[in-house]
Amino acid sequence: MVNYLVAILTFVMVYAMLSLSLNVQWGLTGLVNLGHVGFFAVGAYTSAILSKLGFPFLSSVAMAALLAAFFGALVALTTLRLKEDFLAIVTLGFSEILRLFLINESWLTGGANGITDIPNPLKGFFLPTDISYLVMLVGVVVLLFLLLERFRRSPYGRMLRAIREDEIVAATAGKDVFRSKVQAFALGAAIAGMAGAFYAHYLVYIAPEMFIPMVSINVWVALIAGGSGSNKGAVLGAFVLMGFLESTRFLKDFIPLLGGFRLAAVREILVGLFLILLMIYRQEGILPEEKTVHD
Amino acid sequence: MLEQLPQFVVNGIISGGVLALPAIAFSLLYGILRFPNFAIGTYLTAGGFIAFAANATLGLPISVAFLVSMLVTGFLGVGIDQLAFRPMRERRPLTLAIVSIGVSFVLENVVRFIWGNEMRGYQVPVARGMELWGIRIGKEQVVILAVTLLVMALVQLLLKATRLGKAMRAVADNPMLASVKGIDSEQVILKTSYIGAALAGAAGVMVGIDTVVEPLMGFKLILSIFAAAILGGLGSATAALGGAFFVGLAEEVSLIWLPATYKSAIGFGMIVLVLLFRPEGLFRRKG
Repeated sequence: MVNYLVAILTFVMVYAMLSLSLNVQWGLTGLVNLGHVGFFAVGAYTSAILSKLGFPFLSSVAMAALLAAFFGALVALTTLRLKEDFLAIVTLGFSEILRLFLINESWLTGGANGITDIPNPLKGFFLPTDISYLVMLVGVVVLLFLLLERFRRSPYGRMLRAIREDEIVAATAGKDVFRSKVQAFALGAAIAGMAGAFYAHYLVYIAPEMFIPMVSINVWVALIAGGSGSNKGAVLGAFVLMGFLESTRFLKDFIPLLGGFRLAAVREILVGLFLILLMIYRQEGILPEEKTVHD
Repeated sequence: MLEQLPQFVVNGIISGGVLALPAIAFSLLYGILRFPNFAIGTYLTAGGFIAFAANATLGLPISVAFLVSMLVTGFLGVGIDQLAFRPMRERRPLTLAIVSIGVSFVLENVVRFIWGNEMRGYQVPVARGMELWGIRIGKEQVVILAVTLLVMALVQLLLKATRLGKAMRAVADNPMLASVKGIDSEQVILKTSYIGAALAGAAGVMVGIDTVVEPLMGFKLILSIFAAAILGGLGSATAALGGAFFVGLAEEVSLIWLPATYKSAIGFGMIVLVLLFRPEGLFRRKG
């Protein structure tokens, strides 16, 4: 039971990072990203490959974030001068093509078999590995939350929100809209990449099948459920998501006819429906973004 | 390898034909509703499976199953529009794009729930392929191309010569002006949703005849469909047709140099290039 709880909480922390990162892009700046899993995967693979080459943990995590930011900037640069619809298409395309790359370039990524024996930096620490890893992740999420909360309230964060509300007004006020959007998108991608790195070192094994579009959908569910625009909401949403996903696991006890692929299908249908219903009926989420009068 | 070029060109024309219908559907829906509908790929999958049910389960001939599939998938598109998209008409287009991803996810898993993950095929009479100057062409492929061109011609006729077509173009052009002129935009949306989904469903049957029917058949094509529509400038149906043949040819001819697994990367690469250098599409003059 303790092991189960620790595992679930670890996933909650990883999703909290992903949801916080999507909040920088969508919640703060209004940039859509339907291929979040792509940046997550870039981070996971970068850190896994580098640490297997002998790079220390922190430097491989930093490189993971950096490379994800690079791809984020690239994706943003190709589309952000155009209609925002194109960003939706290109982000989805990016994550799909990346997965093709992960499957096909086995010299680098291990192909469909993935990468095994990724070192866990906290192995042999005085607590059981999983527990000390969870403690570390909680620390990272708290730190990230505090930093992003500061960021959101900073003049820069305020400018991003202004861009989200009305680009033309922001541009008229002398803000470099294009540049800020690229930066915000890259920052979100960097955080997603970092989440990927932490995920890889926790699982010690990664493979392309873990980085499917379902992950991006999950992150959207978490952010919209929690409250887009609010960092508290983003973290809370990760708990809601995991609670939702785990509770649907018990469906099979109630509906005995649901075996194997049917159960999996029903769970994914529920996640999709949840997202649609949230978007239609409760777009502001559980913890809506605070509206401050003066800024 | 280069001596195979004519064969790849022929294959490219066939896959361009298959892409054309969903690319037109995507452009039409985008024109009226103004958001990229990511569910179009799954409409295609649904169409493939509905025809499978009609053909393999009910024993109808494939030509009848094709018509049944178009008919039913059209209603599916209307139902989804009413349930998922209608409550959000006034929202930012991008939130609709996100909803459409949710819709595509739900629909794909409904297909999985009913039919499972296996690959299926239609009951079609085995036809011997033809060989012309060393180029192999399957009889089904000729039929696919012919039917696509026929459906295309019908779509053109509908757009250019009917009241509905005029209304569709008017709403796409300027929704405000259209409503001032007394065009009921909800009616136009309803009919466009039906036509769009039916076209995607038709393409699903063609993909199923050409290859296999499986739950990811539509999602796998989504980048190529987008590429075709974007190359066409997201505007007219004819331009989307041109875009579709362009993408189909590029994807097949690239197989001379690229492993087949990277086929959909070609579509993506073309999207990026067009967005960078000719965002108004290939066939439109800068204006």
